Amino acid sequence: MTERGDTLRTACKDFEEDLVLYYYGDGSAAERSRVEGHLQGCSSCQEFLDDLRKLLPKMAKPSELPPTFWDNYYNEMVQKLAVYEERHAWWKSWFAPMRGWMLPAFGTAAVAALAIGLVIGRGHWHYPFSQTQERIPQEILADTNQLEFFESMDLLENLSSLETQDGSKAQPGNSQHG
Amino acid sequence: MNETAQQELRDEEVVALCQQGQSEVFEVLVRKYMEKAFRIAFDFTHDTEEAKDLSQEAFLRAFSRIKQFDGRSSFYTWFYRLVVNICLDHTRRKGRVIWERLEKETEGSTERVELADGSSLPDEEAIAGEAKRKADLTLEAMPNKQRTAFLLRNHQGLSIPDIAKVMKTTEGTVRVYLHRAVAALRQSLVEFV
Repeated sequence: MTERGDTLRTACKDFEEDLVLYYYGDGSAAERSRVEGHLQGCSSCQEFLDDLRKLLPKMAKPSELPPTFWDNYYNEMVQKLAVYEERHAWWKSWFAPMRGWMLPAFGTAAVAALAIGLVIGRGHWHYPFSQTQERIPQEILADTNQLEFFESMDLLENLSSLETQDGSKAQPGNSQHG
Repeated sequence: MNETAQQELRDEEVVALCQQGQSEVFEVLVRKYMEKAFRIAFDFTHDTEEAKDLSQEAFLRAFSRIKQFDGRSSFYTWFYRLVVNICLDHTRRKGRVIWERLEKETEGSTERVELADGSSLPDEEAIAGEAKRKADLTLEAMPNKQRTAFLLRNHQGLSIPDIAKVMKTTEGTVRVYLHRAVAALRQSLVEFV
């Protein structure tokens, strides 16, 4: 490798990209023959291509690693895969019997069971927020005309309780007078 | 299936077996692609340990997603994409650190050469080392896409159509990335030609 200084000649604008592809052996046959034709009469592009031929292979040269490195790498990787499998085995075993069509079938059955449970249990479930409403039946609340009837019923109940009270008060008085 | 028979399987066959639950066969793919995966990770990181970790992470990711592989591309294109994406994520996270380390290495390079055996290394070797470090710095300074295209073509030998698949872009775009990367490298390394 020798130092050339900083006298960099650029390749022709129209050919620079094609020269890169040409170096790597890419591009169509037509593109390659066009580049080859141009190279015969263009020293700048020839220099560009020569530079690529000198520089790029050196960059790709991998650093050598001992065979033990690759043995360790492989063994470590196999261990990591085993650990990964072990960690993911518990939930896989849950769903292992459910292959193919069984998983969606299981999902459908679960949804159906939930729906049936909701329907059957509807009358038995109580919610704290609805307790006050449940004390008064809906059919009664809906008909406001019946409120007068219940008010009169309340009045009658009050009258009868007053009569009872009067009766109980009168009895001790009667015995005193009698 | 014995080890020799496993080694002779094509990638698609290995993948199919893994998808059917024979996950131990995946080790064939590890054996086949570990060096390439490591090399590309090393090109991105310039660190042996990091390259090992990242490439092994790519294998684990491939293993965990093997059932999602639909065979529309070849396994190695699909796997390269995983490696490249993991490396790019790593570079984005640690870009600054890598850059600083490379700068430090460049600063300390003269000292290391002299310390090797108490005398200077031959000029040619020293210049080659300096050229390598400058090339690394130029690559680090490049936009990720240009660097990826260059590394896949120059270091890994992937074809332009394959690079386009790995990078999920068009062949024309890959050509542009490659050209820009090569032109930048030539510009920065001209003194060593």
